[in-house]
Amino acid sequence: MPLYESVIQEKPPIVLDIGNAYTKLGFAAEAHPRKIIPTTVVLSTTSETKRLFDFADTTEFYDQIVDFLQMIFFKHLLVSPKERKIVVVENIFGQTVTRETLARVLFKHFDMSSVLFVPAHLISLSTLALPTAVVVDIGYSEVTVMPVFSGVQIMPAFMDQSYGGSAVHNEIKRQLVASGIKESLLTENVLEDIKVRVCFVTTFERAQARLKGNEPQPTPSPSVDYPICDYDTIIEIPGIVRETVYEIMFEQSNERDSLPHLILRAILECSVDVRRALLESIFLIGGGAMVMGLLPRLKQELQHLLETDAYYKDRFHGEVEFKFYKPIGKENFTAWLGGALCGATDLIQTRSLTKDAYARNEHVPDWTNLCDNRHAGS
Amino acid sequence: MSFMQPSPVKYACSCGIVNPINKLFFCRHCPKLRCGYCVSHEVESHFCSNCLENIPSSEARHKKNCCANCFDCPCCHHTLSARATTVPVVRKTEEPKDGESAGAATPPPASSKPSAVPTTKKMYYLSCLSCRWTTRDVGIPDQGVATGTWPDNECLYQARFNTLMEYYQSVVLQEKQEKQEFQRRKAPKAHKFPSLTDRTGLTVSLIRRQIGWSEKNVPKTKPLNITPAEAISELEDLPQDIFTQPINLRNITTVAQRHSQPADQPTAVGNLYPQRRSLWIKRSLRCRQCEHNLIKPEYHPTSIKYRIQLFASYHVPEVVMVRLEHPLEAGQSNAILLKLSNPTMYDMTISILDEKPTEEPQINPDEFQATCKIKEEAVTSSPLMKVAALARQTLTKEVTREVRDVANAKIKLLESEFVLNQRDDSKEFDEEVQAQTEEPNFIVWRKGNKVLLRLQFTPAAELEVNDVVTLGFFMQYTYVNTVSNTAEKKEPTTHTLSSRLFIDAGRIEKGN
Ligand SMILES: Nc1ncnc2c1ncn2[C@@H]1O[C@H](COP(=O)(O)OP(=O)(O)O)[C@@H](O)[C@H]1O
Ligand SMILES: [Mg+2]
Ligand SMILES: [Zn+2]
Ligand SMILES: [Zn+2]
Ligand SMILES: [Zn+2]
Ligand SMILES: [Zn+2]
Repeated sequence: MPLYESVIQEKPPIVLDIGNAYTKLGFAAEAHPRKIIPTTVVLSTTSETKRLFDFADTTEFYDQIVDFLQMIFFKHLLVSPKERKIVVVENIFGQTVTRETLARVLFKHFDMSSVLFVPAHLISLSTLALPTAVVVDIGYSEVTVMPVFSGVQIMPAFMDQSYGGSAVHNEIKRQLVASGIKESLLTENVLEDIKVRVCFVTTFERAQARLKGNEPQPTPSPSVDYPICDYDTIIEIPGIVRETVYEIMFEQSNERDSLPHLILRAILECSVDVRRALLESIFLIGGGAMVMGLLPRLKQELQHLLETDAYYKDRFHGEVEFKFYKPIGKENFTAWLGGALCGATDLIQTRSLTKDAYARNEHVPDWTNLCDNRHAGS
Repeated sequence: MSFMQPSPVKYACSCGIVNPINKLFFCRHCPKLRCGYCVSHEVESHFCSNCLENIPSSEARHKKNCCANCFDCPCCHHTLSARATTVPVVRKTEEPKDGESAGAATPPPASSKPSAVPTTKKMYYLSCLSCRWTTRDVGIPDQGVATGTWPDNECLYQARFNTLMEYYQSVVLQEKQEKQEFQRRKAPKAHKFPSLTDRTGLTVSLIRRQIGWSEKNVPKTKPLNITPAEAISELEDLPQDIFTQPINLRNITTVAQRHSQPADQPTAVGNLYPQRRSLWIKRSLRCRQCEHNLIKPEYHPTSIKYRIQLFASYHVPEVVMVRLEHPLEAGQSNAILLKLSNPTMYDMTISILDEKPTEEPQINPDEFQATCKIKEEAVTSSPLMKVAALARQTLTKEVTREVRDVANAKIKLLESEFVLNQRDDSKEFDEEVQAQTEEPNFIVWRKGNKVLLRLQFTPAAELEVNDVVTLGFFMQYTYVNTVSNTAEKKEPTTHTLSSRLFIDAGRIEKGN
C-alpha cells in the first residue's frame, strides 16, 4: 500500500506506554523508544514535581495529563499532536478513569485524529512473533501475569501482586533502616539507585541455605560504600542487603502469592490442553525483569515447586522443563515495541477509535481494545 | 514591582483559568482572552539550542530530532565540547612500517626514524567541561574532524525488527483482504432472484476474464514467513564473582543514564556514547475558536521577535496594585489604589462591576459548533466532499470551566464610568499636566494613558488573622477593533468587553 506507507513516513503515529514509574515514548515503525522519562509532571502552578497518577479528582488528573502530554509532544517528540494518530499501550485491567480521561485529553485538548489502545501483555508477544506465552510484567507498582494462547488473552487467568519495583524499594529501606541508617537519607531516588546499581537476585542454593538456616551460612557479597551526594555523606550497604531485597518476590506464604506461585496458578487457570505449551513459554517483561539473576532463580523456583509441592504435582503431570523467551530490545520497553509494530500496520486505520466516533458519545467503547475483537466484524 | 514575584492581579481567561496578564493572549477576532491552556499549540520550526542552527522540519524528522553537529554528555547531559590535539604524523618513507597506514592517530614510537619529516595533524575528541567525561574514556578513537563520525547508538536488532514489521504488515493486509473477499462473496445472497452468474454456472471472475476485464481481486498477498522466537532453558547465571568481588559504583550506570540511551541501556559506564543533542522548537499558538494565529514566531532561531503577537497586555487595560490605605482587618472598610493603563491607541471607557455584564452578542461556541456539525453532515453525503470536510480541520472545543470565585471582600462600586485615555508615546515624557477637567473623586490622579483609581472594599467579617483577602470584580471596557471578521467592513468596530479580575490584597493583620 504505497499511499499508506508514505503517510507513515510523513506523520508516523505516536506510540506511548505510560507506566506507573516510567513512560516510553516514540513513533511507530521505530525499533526503540525515542525517550524513556519518569511519569511525573511539574505542576505549572507550584512547580513541584508530582507523579502523574497521584490525583484527588478527575479534573486534577485531566490537567496533569494535559501538562504531561504537552511536555511529551513539544519537548520530546517535537510534533504537533493535532490531527495525528496515537497508539497507547495500556494495562488491560487498568482503571476506566485512566482510559476515559486520557481519551478526553487526546481528543478534546490535543485534537488528535485517532487513538488505538493496545493491551500491554498481548502486544508484547508480537515482538516474538508468537501466539502463545505466559507474559509476566514486572513493573513499578505491580507484577501482572497474563497467559496468552493463540493470540487470545486468557482473562480469567490474569493475576497480579504488588511486589514490583516500589515494593523492593520499601524492602531496601526497611533493611537499611534496621541496619541503623537514617530514614531521611533514603529518598525514593536513592532507593531506586541502590536497587538498580548494587542489588541482585541471589541464587536458589544460597536462598535455600538461608531459609533452612543451614550451617555454615553463605558469606554475603561484599558491602558497598554508597555516597549520597545531596547530604554529602556515605552510607554502607551491607552485602546481605544487596543479596536479599528481592527475596520478597519468592517468600513462602500460605497465600501462594509469590512470583513462582503466581505464574503456576495463572497457568492452572487455563484449560488442561494449553498448560504444557504455557509452561514452556514464559516471557518476562518490564523494567523489574532486568535485574541480574532473576531468570535462573525463577526457573529453579518453578522447577522446585513442581517437584515438591503436592498441589502442583497433582495438577501438572510428567516431566516439565520451564523455558523462557529473551526479548528483542530491552524488557522495559517490550510493550512499547509491540505498540510500535502494531502502529506500523494497517490496524492503525481499521482499529483505532477516531475523533468522530469519540465525538458521538464521548466515551471509549470496549471494542477499541484490540484484543476484544481480533476476528469479530467491526 | 518585581518581575519575579507572582503578580497579585489576575485575569480570568475565557476558558475559566485565572492568570496574570503577562500569561494571557487576546484574540482580536473573537475578541476574547485566551491562555496557554486553551489555545492550540503547533510546532513552528526546529532548531538546535547549542549551535542555533535552524533545521527544516523534514530534516529534523529524518535526523530524529537531533542536531547533526552537537553532542551531549551521556553522564551529566551537559554539552560536549570538541577538543583538538595535535598528533605527529609521519610522512610515508620508502619502507612503510606496520600499522602506519592503519591510522595516523597512533603516534609512532619515539624512536622512529629521523628521516621521517615530522608534521602534525589535528585530531579531535569530545569532552565534558562539567563532569570531565571524554570520548577517550570509553575507547572511542579520536576523529579527524570535530563534527566527525562519532559512533551512533546503533540498534543491534534492527534487522529483526524490520522483519517483524514486514511480517505483521503482510498479516494484517491479508486479513483485511480475506474480510473483503468474504463480504463480497456474501453479498449476492441478498438478491431475491438467482443472478446470471448463478444460472450459467460462471463465476464472476470468469465472466470478467471473458469480457476482457482484468482480474478484480488483487493478487493475494501471502503473509511472509517468519521464524518465531525460541524459548530457552539455559539461562544466564549470576557471575560468580558477584559474591566475592567488591564492585566499583563508578563503573555502573544509573537508571537515568541507561534510559537516556534507550536502545541498549548499558549497565557499564564504558558503554555510554556521546548523545546527539535534541532539537528545540519554536511554537505558534492558534485560537481554537476562530483558528487565527495568536503567536507566530520569527523563523530564525536567534530572533526573539514574532510575526504575530497578540499578547493580552497590548489590548486589555492593565491593572497594577499600588497599595492599601489601611492594614487589612476583617469586616473593616478599606480602600485599594489601583493603577490602570490603556495599551491601545484608542480611548477606553471603563466601569467596575460586581457581576458579569450582558455583553454584545458574540459567536456562541455551542451554536458555532452546532452549525459546523450541520454543515458537515450536509457535505458528508458525497464521498468526495467527505474528504474535503476531513481536510478542513475543525478544532474540537475544550469545555470551558467555571471560574473559581475566590473573592471574599465586598467591593463598593464606583459612582460612574470613566475614560482611560489612549496611549500616546509622543506625550509620554511631556512635562505639562493635562488640562484639569472635572474628575470623579475616585480618580486620584491621571497622566497620559494611566489613571490611579481608589476602590473601596470591605473584607468579609468572618475572615481570620492571616487569611488572604481577595477582591473580585468585573472590569468592563470599550475596545476598538481594527481587524474585522467580515471582508466588506473596513471601519474599526467598537466592542464593549469585560474581564473578570481577582486581586490578592494581602493577609488580614488584625482580628476583630
Ligand atoms: N534499564 C533498567 N535497568 C534496571 N532496572 C530498571 C531499568 N529500567 C527500569 N528499571 C526498574 O524497573 C522498574 C519498573 O520499570 P518499568 O517497567 O519501566 O515501570 P512501569 O511500571 O512504569 O512500566 C522500575 O522501578 C525501575 O527501577
Ligand atoms: Mg509497564
Ligand atoms: Zn484560557
Ligand atoms: Zn547543534
Ligand atoms: Zn558530563
Ligand atoms: Zn479567536
